[in-house]
Amino acid sequence: MQDHKAILSKHVAARLGRRSVLKGMGAGLFAATTGGALPGFAQVAQSGHMRIGAITPIDTLDPHFTFRLGSVQIISNICNGLLKVVYDGEKVSFEPDLAATWELEDEKTHAFTLHPNVKFHDGTDCDAEAIKFNLMRVKSGTPASPHAWKLAKLEEVEIIDPLTFKLHFSEPYAFLPVALTGSIGRAGTIVSPTAVKKFGDDFGRNPVGTGPFKFVSWQQNDSIELVANTEYFQAGLPKLERVSMMLIDEPSTALAALISGQIDGMNDCPMQLTEQVRKMPNLQIFGGVEGNYTYVGMNTQKAPFDDVNLRRAVAYAIDRDAVLRQAYFGLAKQAYTPISPPMTGFYDPAIAESGRGHSFDLEKAKEFRALAANQDEIEVTYIMTENPPAGTRVAQIVAPMLAQIGIKVKLELLENAAWTQRLQDRDFEMLDFFWTADLDPDETLFPEFKTGGSWNYWGWSNPEFDRLCTEAQVVLDVAERSKLYNQAEDLMIAEAPVAMLAHFPLYKIFSNKVQGFNYVPCDLLNLDTVSLA
Amino acid sequence: MLARAAAKVFQTLVVLIIVSIASFSLLKLAPGDPVVIMLGTEYSQESYDELRAQLGLDRPVAVQYLRWLGDFVTGDWGNSYVAKTDIFSFVVQEALPVTLTLTACAILLAIAVGVPLGVISAVRKDSGWDVGIAALALTGTAFPSFFLGIVLIWFFAVKVGFFPVMGFVPPWEDFWSGMLHLVLPAATLSTFFIGMIVRVTRAAMVEVLAQPYITAAIARGEPRRRVIWVHGFRNILMPLVTVIGLQLGAILQGAVLTETVFSLPGLGQMLTGAVLGREYVLVQAGVMLTATLFILVNLAVDLSYPFLDPRLRAR
Repeated sequence: MQDHKAILSKHVAARLGRRSVLKGMGAGLFAATTGGALPGFAQVAQSGHMRIGAITPIDTLDPHFTFRLGSVQIISNICNGLLKVVYDGEKVSFEPDLAATWELEDEKTHAFTLHPNVKFHDGTDCDAEAIKFNLMRVKSGTPASPHAWKLAKLEEVEIIDPLTFKLHFSEPYAFLPVALTGSIGRAGTIVSPTAVKKFGDDFGRNPVGTGPFKFVSWQQNDSIELVANTEYFQAGLPKLERVSMMLIDEPSTALAALISGQIDGMNDCPMQLTEQVRKMPNLQIFGGVEGNYTYVGMNTQKAPFDDVNLRRAVAYAIDRDAVLRQAYFGLAKQAYTPISPPMTGFYDPAIAESGRGHSFDLEKAKEFRALAANQDEIEVTYIMTENPPAGTRVAQIVAPMLAQIGIKVKLELLENAAWTQRLQDRDFEMLDFFWTADLDPDETLFPEFKTGGSWNYWGWSNPEFDRLCTEAQVVLDVAERSKLYNQAEDLMIAEAPVAMLAHFPLYKIFSNKVQGFNYVPCDLLNLDTVSLA
Repeated sequence: MLARAAAKVFQTLVVLIIVSIASFSLLKLAPGDPVVIMLGTEYSQESYDELRAQLGLDRPVAVQYLRWLGDFVTGDWGNSYVAKTDIFSFVVQEALPVTLTLTACAILLAIAVGVPLGVISAVRKDSGWDVGIAALALTGTAFPSFFLGIVLIWFFAVKVGFFPVMGFVPPWEDFWSGMLHLVLPAATLSTFFIGMIVRVTRAAMVEVLAQPYITAAIARGEPRRRVIWVHGFRNILMPLVTVIGLQLGAILQGAVLTETVFSLPGLGQMLTGAVLGREYVLVQAGVMLTATLFILVNLAVDLSYPFLDPRLRAR
């Protein structure tokens, strides 16, 4: 049997492959000081006040309760995780962060040691007790964390000494590296237990971590202020003295403020603005296709889409080129199956030639349409709303395409909350939506398509799919695991509860004054290495 | 006069109660479960029930209303469940001053620009000046404020770089910086209002100038300026004040868009955020506060008539 740590590290290293990084990747990549490096308390002189326009919603700064990637971006600057996502320009790996070392004792036991003398911003120690408090807060705290399922297989946190602890799991857990990151996974983000007890429900407005920046204040609709943590355990970091996240609702206002120099960056940039940004000589843009997918979803529980042949006809009738061009401004990548380009060991770069997945084939669509039970013209209602990333554009492009196979689409525009309600109540025939995944095929496929899954809005059920995904959860070998997920995907693709559309890009933009930003392809905005010229 | 004032105050109270019921029930009828919106896509039934109970949304509607009204009157507006802050201090101490400053600047600007233009129009009725001002006023009234805001930003803030693009600096902390930040939003917000004031001033002034006492004043040989600004202006104050009071609603409405475009942390932006986030408590507090403001200002307008026009004092 192979060494499990080797398997796991291979597995995590293979997660993300070469990415199309648009600009600025030449910037000195921060070689992570991992694996037993001594913590540095060098008192570096921080300088510069960076203002960033935050145009995406921020719900809470409590990592264990947030649903928003806009929050995760800020939390990742205030808190560390046990592990972190590191990107070297070609591949992403999951490496120790607060942990100094991470060993696999056996398939189900992970041993960690912590960096010594790491303190939370409130002066308390970040020791094994604090880690245990955090993991248990996620796993079984009250109120229940939405990320609790990520640690469901955690049986025990065994504290050896203040800097050493072991995690015992009930079975091998392939998703673990993602779960333990302090960023996208959220479950492994470590916050100050003292502050949690002190602030209670208000902790999300008063976050305390170990990260490069300390939280100062949050003025609603105005700004979130951070100040450098001069005792950060990573030597020489952070470089900035202050950071203000300016809360701006209107992207074009934020862009105007960026161009005129009132702010130094934006945490996101809608696709329609990127062309304009590229023409601006004083701006730089980072980004690329990330771990996500969009689709047209159909309600398999009621007519007319309870008919599998009609769903298949829809899946092949959509001209993806037109959708990519018109709805995504030519910036997205066609999605054949849900597994996204950043999940390297799992994503097949040659998927376009493999014949797997959904693509445009009008002849095939018409063949399936001819097999459908209802041969009359079918009228369906397609609910749409102004959701990211493409708003109502997809619906408007897809509707005439379906007319070609005898499906008359009635578009119904809803306000976002009403739309969400209809989605949750399964009160729809057809819609389009997106999913942003935690960079692992399990979270990409299973909750969305398993029988009775909380995000399986389609009411689709296939016991074989469920079995394959369950089996894949405990397989650590990437190739073997990937095979299982491909089989599962093929089952879903064949019955088409959704018609796959696109993997879309996310962008960050900065003024040319900004230096040292490390792009990580999972919507992170890590500012520890950033400085202002 | 006192009896009339008392009747007005009583009417105002009745209107306020109607407004409170309306704002409370409107939101109840709106689609979208606030608990679901809050919890997002990942939640369990337990966390759903718990949150619902926490928010008091499982109680009968009448109970929810009375409890809320009582709390509102006593200043206990509860906690925002998204922002986790005390709503009273959030709304009254943070958002309200921003909106009041913005609307006050916009109204003052509109009066400063609109009244002289209206008077010029009336005095030079049917001249080129009149036609030109009328065209400007109409354009100003018809121009959508959000678009004007973006145009102003691109020209004055980005191209020319005179003014900051966005944000709010309290003028009571840093007067000049605060005023610089307010120029573009106040200009945006006051545009439609300027048009309105020009037209009202002109119409009232034209009517007043045709009155016998004006002719008499001119016949007495009083200077033209004195005739217009003392005899004439005094008599158009009533319609002018009435319009300003009534248009306060429209100004507050315009503030929603202006605050969004210029990213000002005022009532308007707070309200849109709250509506989109289905923050019942916050929307109700915001609507009640703006409605109360509007109603109180109009009460003040009503009560001011006897001071503006001595003829009304006799009644």
